[in-house]
Amino acid sequence: MVSGPTSAFVRKGLRTTAGLAIGGLLAFAELAYVVLAVPVLVVPAARPHVFAGARRLAEVERLRLARHLRSENSADYSGRRALEYLAIRCIVGGLGAGIFLLIAGGGLSALVMAGQVFTGTPIGTDHDWYDVPAVLLFGILLVFLAVQGLIGVAALERRLAHGFLGPSEQDLLRRRVSQLATSRAEVIEAVNDERRRIERDLHDGGQQRLVALGMVLGRALRSRDAEHAAELLRQAHAESQEALRELREVAWRVYPIALDSGGLDVALESLAERSSLPVELEYTLAGRPDPATETVAYFVASEAMTNAIKHAGATRIRISVRGDVTMITVRITDDGAGGAQATGGGLSGLARRVAAADGVFTVDSPVGGPTVITAELPCA
Amino acid sequence: MRLILAEDSILLREGLVRLLAEEGHEVVAAVGDGTTLVEETGRHRPDVVVTDVRMPPTHSDEGLRAALEIRKRWPEVGVLVLSQYVEKRYATELITDDAGRVGYLLKDRVAQVGEFLDALERVAAGGAAFDPDVVRRLLARTTHVDPLTRLTAREREVLEKMAQGHTNAGIAAQLFVSQSAVEKHVNAIFDKLDLVQTAGFSRRVLAVLRFLGS
Repeated sequence: MVSGPTSAFVRKGLRTTAGLAIGGLLAFAELAYVVLAVPVLVVPAARPHVFAGARRLAEVERLRLARHLRSENSADYSGRRALEYLAIRCIVGGLGAGIFLLIAGGGLSALVMAGQVFTGTPIGTDHDWYDVPAVLLFGILLVFLAVQGLIGVAALERRLAHGFLGPSEQDLLRRRVSQLATSRAEVIEAVNDERRRIERDLHDGGQQRLVALGMVLGRALRSRDAEHAAELLRQAHAESQEALRELREVAWRVYPIALDSGGLDVALESLAERSSLPVELEYTLAGRPDPATETVAYFVASEAMTNAIKHAGATRIRISVRGDVTMITVRITDDGAGGAQATGGGLSGLARRVAAADGVFTVDSPVGGPTVITAELPCA
Repeated sequence: MRLILAEDSILLREGLVRLLAEEGHEVVAAVGDGTTLVEETGRHRPDVVVTDVRMPPTHSDEGLRAALEIRKRWPEVGVLVLSQYVEKRYATELITDDAGRVGYLLKDRVAQVGEFLDALERVAAGGAAFDPDVVRRLLARTTHVDPLTRLTAREREVLEKMAQGHTNAGIAAQLFVSQSAVEKHVNAIFDKLDLVQTAGFSRRVLAVLRFLGS
């Protein structure tokens, strides 16, 4: 009885060798299929059948790889992909078959030579003193090359399947983890961006106005001309109204409360009404999405609108919100100058927000316009 | 006096121009960024420049950079810096030498028109004008807490007023005491803080500020 690790090693070796041997045989079937099936592709109607057959063969491969080579792949691939895989895979399988043939030939000649040494028959034409060591050395060398060849073929098989077949569960998990780590970092960055924006809004809007208001009042107090003072007071009064309006605007930009009370459609309507440009709003969602999705959708619309007005010089904006229970699509189109970069200030913040909600964010903005900004958001 | 204004908010700039005109000052140029401020200062050589810290293009501290350059190139021009926030760093950068004609006010102070105009006069006259908030921050965050604890409450009050740039006479009027009483307090403060008494009021002020800021 062999010890644990050694027996595991031997079992693994046997399992892999068996897998490669089966793979070598399969290679011929695959080669035949590829050679016969590819010409049929000319007939459009036959294509689905060809692809389906390729998929069936590829599924056999997937099972073999999982069982013998411990290479996990999912069934998430197309028939066309399966055919491409088979076309390359039959070459690799052929390599494996070739190595097995070499091993068989080598084994056979080893047997013959061992018999010759045993019976005293000369190897070659006559007896040489170096016959036995030479045969032994070449034998060891060939065994080594054959084993390395098999290991190489196994590695090729795994890599090929990885490249063509569906990603394994582990791959998917790994991808998801790195995606989550990135989006988490980006959420923090997006929050900071947001704070910076609010600070600027308060500084440029409210605070400046209040200082200006204080200054007008100060001038009124110092004025020795009653009529001038009254005029300054009137100005201060108007200024205070402006400051209030500005504060309300800032508060609204920080978080539109209509989003909580009325929902996305009400908030977007209000956004459209507040805009200095004509905004066409198309809202065709039946029910209300979850609040988190609504908030992201709202900010995509409002930020894209701000961009269109501020940077693109647009004259018309169109907002459309469509979707169903699983996915909503927010699209903002403007007729401005275009050339918007997804990496630029406000847009990169939006991309981060959308990514954090597991959505897809695209900016299509050729120079000369129009700009189309789209966010596809999955609903929880 | 002749002034140059640098402020990127048109609203505030216009307001300041009107205010200063009403007070009988002449605004020779009103600009919106630091580079233009330095250029205009070279051309007009005003008595004082008033500049916001945060201006285009980067909206960080270009106003302060311009102010420091003006101080270096034309020491006879007074510099009054307005800032949205109290930044100890800005104050300490402005008081690196003994030259007066320097001020640092919180922007909101402009709304207290009297204080603002008073500070402007002090800077133009060769003195210093530091915002009460700036001084309070310097006093609160100074590394020289020990010597400060040796000051009496009254001396601390006098120190605050002096650091803001007020003259002995001004302090006396604000604290309702005689000018000689203020002088006595000032001498005591300099002794307790181990500061060398230097001639000239603004130099003394800057010595105090530098002490607090270092």
